[in-house]
Amino acid sequence: MGKRLLSALLLTSASLAASAGWADAKTVIHMMHQGDPGWVKAYADVAKRFEGANPDVDIEFIYAPHDAYNEKFSAAVMSKQLPDIMEIDAPFLANYAWSGYLQPIKSLIDKDVIDDMTASNVSQGTYPIDKELYAVGLTDSSVVLYGNKKYLEAIGARIPKSVDDAWTKEEFEGYLEKLSKLDGVKWPIDTFRGYGIKTEWITYAYGPLLESAGCDLIDRKTWKATGTLDSDACVGALTMVQTWVKNGWVVPGSSGTNQFYAEGRPAALALGGHWFYAEAAAAMKDDIVVMPLPKLGDKGVSPNGTWIWGITKTSEHPDVAGKFLSFLLKDKDYREYAKHESAFPGLKSFAESSPLYAPGGAMAVAFEQASKTAVARPPHPAYPAITSAFMQAVDKAFNGGDVKQALSEAAQKIDEDIDDNDGYPPFNAQQ
Amino acid sequence: MTLQQSIAATRPRVGRRRDPGRLMQELLMIAPAVILLACFLIAPFLLSFWTSMTNQPLVPRPTPVRFIGLQNFVRIFNDPLFWTSLWNVTRFTIWVLPVQCGMAFATALLLHQKIPGRNVLRGMFFLPAITSMVVVCVIWGTLFQYPSGPLNQIVGFLSAGHIQPIDWLGNPKWAMFSIVLLSAWQAYGFQMIVYLAGLQGIPDELYDASRIDGANVFQRFWHVTMPGLRPTHVFVLVITTIQAFKLYTQVAILTQGGPSGSTETVVHYMVRTGFEQQKLGYASAVSVILFVIVLVIALLQRQLLRRFDV
Amino acid sequence: MSDIALPRVVTAERSVKISLRIVQTAAIFIIALIVISPLFMLLIASLKDDRFQILADMGSFRAFWVSNPTLSNFNEIAHFSGELAYGRYLFNSLVILAVTVASGLVVNSMAGFILAWGSLRGKAVLLSLVVALYVIPQESIIMPLVVMMSRAGLTDTFAVQILPWVASPLYIFLFYQFFAQLPKELYEAAEIDGASIFRIYRSIYLPLSLPALATVSILMGIESWNQYLWPTLVTQTDYARPISVAIATFFGQDSIYWDRAMAASVLMMIPILALYLAFQRWFVSSFVGSAVKG
Repeated sequence: MGKRLLSALLLTSASLAASAGWADAKTVIHMMHQGDPGWVKAYADVAKRFEGANPDVDIEFIYAPHDAYNEKFSAAVMSKQLPDIMEIDAPFLANYAWSGYLQPIKSLIDKDVIDDMTASNVSQGTYPIDKELYAVGLTDSSVVLYGNKKYLEAIGARIPKSVDDAWTKEEFEGYLEKLSKLDGVKWPIDTFRGYGIKTEWITYAYGPLLESAGCDLIDRKTWKATGTLDSDACVGALTMVQTWVKNGWVVPGSSGTNQFYAEGRPAALALGGHWFYAEAAAAMKDDIVVMPLPKLGDKGVSPNGTWIWGITKTSEHPDVAGKFLSFLLKDKDYREYAKHESAFPGLKSFAESSPLYAPGGAMAVAFEQASKTAVARPPHPAYPAITSAFMQAVDKAFNGGDVKQALSEAAQKIDEDIDDNDGYPPFNAQQ
Repeated sequence: MTLQQSIAATRPRVGRRRDPGRLMQELLMIAPAVILLACFLIAPFLLSFWTSMTNQPLVPRPTPVRFIGLQNFVRIFNDPLFWTSLWNVTRFTIWVLPVQCGMAFATALLLHQKIPGRNVLRGMFFLPAITSMVVVCVIWGTLFQYPSGPLNQIVGFLSAGHIQPIDWLGNPKWAMFSIVLLSAWQAYGFQMIVYLAGLQGIPDELYDASRIDGANVFQRFWHVTMPGLRPTHVFVLVITTIQAFKLYTQVAILTQGGPSGSTETVVHYMVRTGFEQQKLGYASAVSVILFVIVLVIALLQRQLLRRFDV
Repeated sequence: MSDIALPRVVTAERSVKISLRIVQTAAIFIIALIVISPLFMLLIASLKDDRFQILADMGSFRAFWVSNPTLSNFNEIAHFSGELAYGRYLFNSLVILAVTVASGLVVNSMAGFILAWGSLRGKAVLLSLVVALYVIPQESIIMPLVVMMSRAGLTDTFAVQILPWVASPLYIFLFYQFFAQLPKELYEAAEIDGASIFRIYRSIYLPLSLPALATVSILMGIESWNQYLWPTLVTQTDYARPISVAIATFFGQDSIYWDRAMAASVLMMIPILALYLAFQRWFVSSFVGSAVKG
C-alpha cells in the first residue's frame, strides 16, 4: 500500500516536473523602458493581452526611472545584458545604431504600422548612413508658441491660422516689445529656462530657432561644427535671444515653469512643448491660443523626436519582438491612455482619433508642424557631445557672455569629439 | 612584595604568551572590512587609475580604445571649467564648514540638555537629514523662487522693501551661497548626532567636579565640554571637509553647474564628461585628480589638528 | 559682610541662568522654524490632490496652505496595484536595510577597534588609508563596480545591494575615534585578567559604545534607504528592487505627478524616522563614567 502510494507520488511529481519543463520552453522577450507609473501600468496591460493571444511568449519588463535611464542602458551594455526591445530617445538613435546595438526594424514590424507613420516619425527613427528605419513609436513631439488671448488682443496681434502664416521675425520681435510694455505682463515670453541649464530641452527648443534663421548645429554633409554653429546666422539668432534675456523679456530660470498660467498670468507667451498644453489649459481654459513657431528666416522650423522603440542586434527573437511592438502600437487601450496624456501623435491613424490634434482641435497647428516644418536633431553618433556643448554655449550666452566666442568654443568641442573618434566612420566618408 | 605580586612576577607576561594567537585574532577581526573594502572600493578605483590614461568611452564602440598616457590630464588642466569647478568646491567648503558644523554643534548642545520634549525635538531637528536630496531640492527650489518666492518675500518684508528680490539660483553671485544654505540645512543632522554621541562620552563626574570647584556655566563649557569634544571636533572637521569637496547631487538637480559655471563642482564636471559626453577615460582622470587633491588636504588637516587628537 | 554679599552672588547666578534659558528657548524656536517650514510645505503639498494646483501654488506662500486637505494621494499610492508592487519593494528595502546595518555594525566596529587598540604596526598609515578611501566619491566607482557585479553574476540579488555598502571608511573612522577615547585602563585591566582581544572588544568596549552604535545605525540606515542609482543599475526585476527606485519613478519625464510624488516622499520618510526615534534614546545615558568608577 505504502509502496504504491510512493510510486504514485513519484510518478505525479515526475510528470509535473516534465510538464513544467515543457512549459518553460517559452520565448521570453525583455523590454527596457522608462516613464512614470501610469505608463508602466499601460505597458504591463498590453503585455498581458499579448501573452493571452500568444501563450508561448513571455514579456518581461526592465524598468529604469527617467533620470537614470541612460546610466541603466550603459550598465546593460557593459554587462552584456541588452534587452530585446529598448526605448530610445530619438536624437541618440544615430549613436546607438553606429555603436552596433540596434538592427533595422522595418521588416520586423507590420506593414500597416510602417505605412501609418508620419513623415516626422519616420525621420526620427531613420539612420542616415543606410537610410534604414531602426525605431518606431506611437508618439512624437513638437514645440509651439502658446499665447495669452487677452494680452494678444490688447496689443492687436495677429493670430496665425496655420503653419504657413506663422509670425515673421519682425512681427515676433515687435509683439515682444509691445507686450513688454503692457500692464500685467511681467515677462513677454517664457522659454522654460526653468527646466534647467543642462537639459535636452535646450537643444530641442533653441536648435530650431537657429535652424529657422538659416544655420545649423553642425553641417549635416561634412559633419563639421566649426563654420556652421558659429556662423553669422547662428550668432545672430542666439544674440537675438540673448538680447531678449538682457531686456528682461524672458522668464528667468529661477522663477519656475508655471509663470504662463500662474496667478496674474505674468508671462504672455510661452515657447513650450506639446505636453505643456495639459497644465496650461487646466488653468487657463479658453484664454489660451496655440500658434506655430515663428519664422526667423525664410522658413519655419520645429523640433521633433521623443522616446521610440528599437530592437537590439543581440535579440534572439527579433521577429517576436517586432510582433509585440506592432501589437503595442495598434492596441486600443494603449492608444486611449496615450490620448489621455495628450501624447503627440506619430501615427496618422492615431492623429485622426485624437481630438486635440485632429483638424479643428486646439493643438491641430502642432500636428501640422510635424508634416511641414519638423526637422530632426542632427542624426550623428556625436550627438551627446553636440547637445552638451550647445547647452553650455546657451548658458554662457544667457549670462551675458560673448555669443560668437561661446558658439566657437562649442563648435570646437564638437569637432574635437569627432576627431577623437576618428570621425565616427563611416560618417567621415559622407562628404 | 605581596604574595599576589610575586606570583604575578613569576608568571610569564600575559601579552607575550598570547602573541601568535592574538595576532591571528586581530587579523580575523579586521579581515571582513579589509576584504570588503578591497573588493568594492579599492579595486574599482584602481581600475579608474588605469582608465584615466586611455580614451575609453563609457560604453564600447567601434573606434578602438587606445592608451594615451597623460593626454586626458593635460586636457583637464587646460580646461578653464575644471579650474572653476575646483575653485567652486573650495569656496563651498570654506562656507559650509562653519555654517553646517556650527548649526550641528549648537543644536547638539541644545538637545543635550534635559529640556521638556527633548525626544520630540530631537526627532524634529533630524528630519531634514532623513529627507531624500531630490525632495529637498524641489522644496528649496520653491523657496528660492525669484522674484516672489517665499524667501524673497521674507527678505522684502524684513527690510521693508529696501532690499530687491534676490535671484538665489539664477544669479552667479548668489548661486553657490544658496547651495551652501540648502546643503547645511539638509545635512547638519549628521554632524549633530555625531556631536550628541561625543557629548555622551564626557563623564558626568567631570561636570560635578567642576561645579564643586565653583565653575559657572560658561567655564564648565570651556573647560570640560570643549576639551572633551576635541576628538569629535577633529572628526567632524575632517569628514565634513571631505564631504564638501565631493559636492554633487544638489548641484546636479538644481543648478546643473550654472549659472555660468558658478556652481560647477569637480564631481559634477566628472559626471558630465563621463556619463553625458561618454568620455570615461577623461572622467576617470578627473576623479584621480580630485582624489589626490582632497587626500592631501585631509591629511594636512589631520596633521595640523593632531595636537587635539587622542 | 558675607550675609549681605551672598544674596547678590546668588541673584547674579540665577539671572544668568534665566537669561540663558530665554536664549535657549528662543534659539530652539528659531531653529525649529527654519528646520520645519520647508518640510511643512512638503506635507501640505502631499495633501493636495490636484497636481496642477500644486504647480500653481509653488513659488508663493500658498504652498504653505491647503484649503481642502485630503488623504487621497496616500490612498492612491497604497492601492496602486499597477505593475509597481509597493508592498514587495517595501519589504525588500527593509531587508536590505536590516542586513546592511547589522553586518555593518559588526564589521566596522571590529575594524575600528583593532585600529584603536590592536597591536598592528603602521597604524598611522592604516588610518590615513582609511581617510583616503573616504575621499573616493561613489560616482567614480559606480560603473566599474556594475561591470564587476554583473561578471560575478550577482545582478538582481539582495547581496549585490548589501555587500558594497557594509564596510565603510567613514564608519570605521568613527568607531576608531570613539574607541580611542575610552580609557586604556579598561583595556589593561581586562588584559591582565587574561581576556582575548575579541573578548575585550565584545564584552567591554562594545557595550560602552552604544552612542556610536546608535549613530552608525542611523547613518547607515539612511544611506541604505535612500540609495537609488545603484539599485536601478543592478536590478532588473521586482524581485530585489527597493522602494527608493519606485519613488524615483514619480520624478521623471516632462510633467511630474506632483500630488503622488509629494505623498510618496512623505511615506518614504516614515520608516527611517521610526528607526531614528528608536535608536536615539541611546544618546541619553552615559555609561563611561560608571565603568571607570568600578
